[in-house]
Amino acid sequence: MKMIWAIIRPEYSQRVIDALEKTGISAMTRMNVTGHGAETELMAGLVNYSEIPKEMLMIVLPDIDVARAVRIISTVAKTWQKENPGHGAVGDGKIFVTYVDDAHTIRTAENKKRSPGLPATTGPPV
Amino acid sequence: MKKIIAIIRSENVEETKAALKGLGINGATFLHVTGRGMPEGLSPARSLSEERPAAFRAPDERQDGLPVPKGATLPVSPPKTKPGPAGFLPQRMLIIVAHDADVRPNINTLVAANQTGRHGDGKIFVCPMISAIRVRNGEQGDSALA
Repeated sequence: MKMIWAIIRPEYSQRVIDALEKTGISAMTRMNVTGHGAETELMAGLVNYSEIPKEMLMIVLPDIDVARAVRIISTVAKTWQKENPGHGAVGDGKIFVTYVDDAHTIRTAENKKRSPGLPATTGPPV
Repeated sequence: MKKIIAIIRSENVEETKAALKGLGINGATFLHVTGRGMPEGLSPARSLSEERPAAFRAPDERQDGLPVPKGATLPVSPPKTKPGPAGFLPQRMLIIVAHDADVRPNINTLVAANQTGRHGDGKIFVCPMISAIRVRNGEQGDSALA
């Protein structure tokens, strides 16, 4: 079980969600955040915009679905550049994947442990 | 050290805060988020049929015991739609960083405070956490947690 935190452009989020939903990944949490990565030099006149609105998606998935979800997000959230097709632009976002030890469903107090055989804090990359 | 991420109903936030205070937990971060679970999981805190006014009940479920006159055309509830992809509902995300030994009581408290038994109660995730640093004095590790 892994947790995906994806920071994407807000205008691409619905597209990403629809694409994930088509492959059966519909449970997720979204939140509005602000921040910046490499796009710090977003200057408008003399104003440097360092707090750029982004959308963050949090998805928890079984290990087997993680690579698929990451592939979908990284493909769909990428902007299309005419002069450089296939390469996104600065500011398209990041995807982080972390381990999840336990997942509890509050309704039933059911508990799912992490997949056996994986250490708690380290493991093979996805 | 573990990070507990709970996604709960917005209306249960005050109860949850009180329950955590009773447990002696002072540090928690609350975020406004929107979210959804499984496609069939969309349901409000109280089921709709409990609050449906009598006019919208089907004729055979009149609860005042009066006979339904023959040929009466009572309005019936709209047909149930197929469970489809649900919309995103406002939820509250709660983040607590706790010592390993405190994780279990925390989870029990969160479940007890938020369980209604209906879909949409939320999830609790426990993630490994490597370190914590107190900004005020640079204290690191387990002692940085209160």
